[in-house]
Amino acid sequence: MIKILFVFMSLILAVPAYAVDGNELLEQVDRNLNPESYEAYKKLINIEPDGSKKEFVLFTVKKGKNKVAAMFISPASEKGRSTLRLDDNMWLYIPNVGRPIRITSLQSVVGGVFNNADILRLDYTSEYNVEQVEENSEEYLLHLKAKTNTVAYDKLKMWVNRDNMLPSKIESLTEDSMLIKTLYFKEIKDFGDGIVRPSVVETDSPLYKGYKSIIIFAKIKEKEFNDEVFTLTFMPNMDSLR
Amino acid sequence: MRLLALFIFMIVLSPRLIFAESEYSFDLDEIEKKAYSLGGYIETRPVFLVFDKDSALYKLKLYNQDEGKTSEEYNVTLQLEGSYEKGIAKLYTKINADLRQSYLGWSDTTSVLEGYLSLKPSSSFTINAGKKALKWGKGYAWTPAAFADRTKNPDDPDLSLEGFIGLSADYIKSYSGPLKTISFTPVLIPVYDDVNNDFGETDHVNFAGKLYLLLYDTDIDFIILTGGSKTTRFGFDFSRNITSNLEIHGEFAFINNFGKKIVNNTGNTFVNKHDAKSGLFGVRYLTESDTTFIVEYYHNGTGFTDGEMEDYFSFINTAYEVYTSSGNDNDLQKALNLTEGNYGKMNPMRNYLYARVSQKEPFDILYFTPAITGILNINDGSFSISPEIMYTGITNLELRFKTGFLIGQSNSEYGEKLNNCRAEFRMRYYF
Repeated sequence: MIKILFVFMSLILAVPAYAVDGNELLEQVDRNLNPESYEAYKKLINIEPDGSKKEFVLFTVKKGKNKVAAMFISPASEKGRSTLRLDDNMWLYIPNVGRPIRITSLQSVVGGVFNNADILRLDYTSEYNVEQVEENSEEYLLHLKAKTNTVAYDKLKMWVNRDNMLPSKIESLTEDSMLIKTLYFKEIKDFGDGIVRPSVVETDSPLYKGYKSIIIFAKIKEKEFNDEVFTLTFMPNMDSLR
Repeated sequence: MRLLALFIFMIVLSPRLIFAESEYSFDLDEIEKKAYSLGGYIETRPVFLVFDKDSALYKLKLYNQDEGKTSEEYNVTLQLEGSYEKGIAKLYTKINADLRQSYLGWSDTTSVLEGYLSLKPSSSFTINAGKKALKWGKGYAWTPAAFADRTKNPDDPDLSLEGFIGLSADYIKSYSGPLKTISFTPVLIPVYDDVNNDFGETDHVNFAGKLYLLLYDTDIDFIILTGGSKTTRFGFDFSRNITSNLEIHGEFAFINNFGKKIVNNTGNTFVNKHDAKSGLFGVRYLTESDTTFIVEYYHNGTGFTDGEMEDYFSFINTAYEVYTSSGNDNDLQKALNLTEGNYGKMNPMRNYLYARVSQKEPFDILYFTPAITGILNINDGSFSISPEIMYTGITNLELRFKTGFLIGQSNSEYGEKLNNCRAEFRMRYYF
């Protein structure tokens, strides 16, 4: 009996120190950042070391875990350009060129620190598994690993505030743990219908010293779309969704 | 001054500026959708040309004028795009007006590139009536399966193309599973004396169709054109991302009973009919240092062989000798007619290799992209090489300086072009 009790106690003590399910935490972060299906407007600002800026405004729609599309509203030189992402497939439609061309997640349609994966971001849970969770009294630190080698960044370190379960900082890393960029989530705002999230995301990168990129969110709204909206054939018509 | 003060007051106190308390602002007026839109660009593109006075095409096109060794060209282009949207209907037009002064003198052209009415009763169904550029195919420099489009310029593949007048529809259906999307695009293209008369033989209504599948993460198109203005042709194309930085694409076209008009070295013309097969395979690769490589191999089954091109150049040279000795330009005029839409097409021969290397923002210079493009005629070994730099750092202004060098032996495609060097500076302002 004592032996059985000893084995039982040993098994209990052998359970890992953290009882937190990292993937569940990540799912919460995803849902707190935005509804699974939504529309939103984003302003992207590239800031150069001398302070000069270039701004882009996009209309974005997302459905489920794997479908997202965006269309440039301004400036005039980019107006009507749209991008579509279905899982790891990405396309760019340029009105002048006329037909969607395949692009890769690491390319950038706007220049600067942002690449296509940043603009057409899927849920973190659709691209990453949580490998490790560290925690203190104020925040969790999630260590994320890409599910496939087609994801733009192989590893992420995500600092999540325990109170609101929103990220405060994300570091994007290569497979060799080289830092590519850091995202800082700022200015939490109530967008209505229970959507409370950072309205500003600042990004810098050691690869672009002195440069900074900002995303400002506006009018995030839960909305359902037909699957056909997220197809190549529909890309030239994205403006009809607004 | 009062107006300026009022303007500043309105801007500063506008309730539509959100995040006014933060260091960043997002004016909601920027995202308000209007029923109408008007935009476009204005462009000027001075060009400097160095002629190859010994080339066949110089003798053909400038036989009766002396332009010297070099020439300049100046132009202003205005492209306007407008749309009006109400309910499920949208009217769209794109108009291009070009004023040019070149070695050919002054010229001006105004073209309606596109102008159509679009009805969209649901997100899965659209009908378009009017002039529309379809732009099918997956190739970057060439699109042999784009049967219902005008030919692209491989030297500048992103230029707007003029459409054909017709009636088309798009039907889209999405699924879960390996087949994610299927869409069908049927098109009717009437060809009469006053409508689409440059499409092909007149007095026919042609049918073109494209079936698109997104199957196992691969874009696949099946294309057909039939109806009498051109011989029936079938096409297939595909595109797929292999990794996050590598994309592959390809096209195949089968043209039934294609008629190729050829001339021998004495000026006799023949029509050679054969079933033509064309194909293209390409890759797009992005390195860790943001260098993009685009490489395409193109086999043009409708193109001319080495011998056919040599006969054509030989006929021009003989016709030029006749002109210089007698003043008789009949044969040169005949050669000019044969050149238009035939020997004078972009890349008229059989096998080509296209390569473009561009570097995004080198030396941390934002919005600066140098690139170099080469097109090799595999059959005769001649080629063009075009270095360029582009800067887009000023909002809505695009600056591009591009040069081009054409290199080849006599009787080769690039060796017999009108010029052997050109430089252009394109300034384009979008509004």
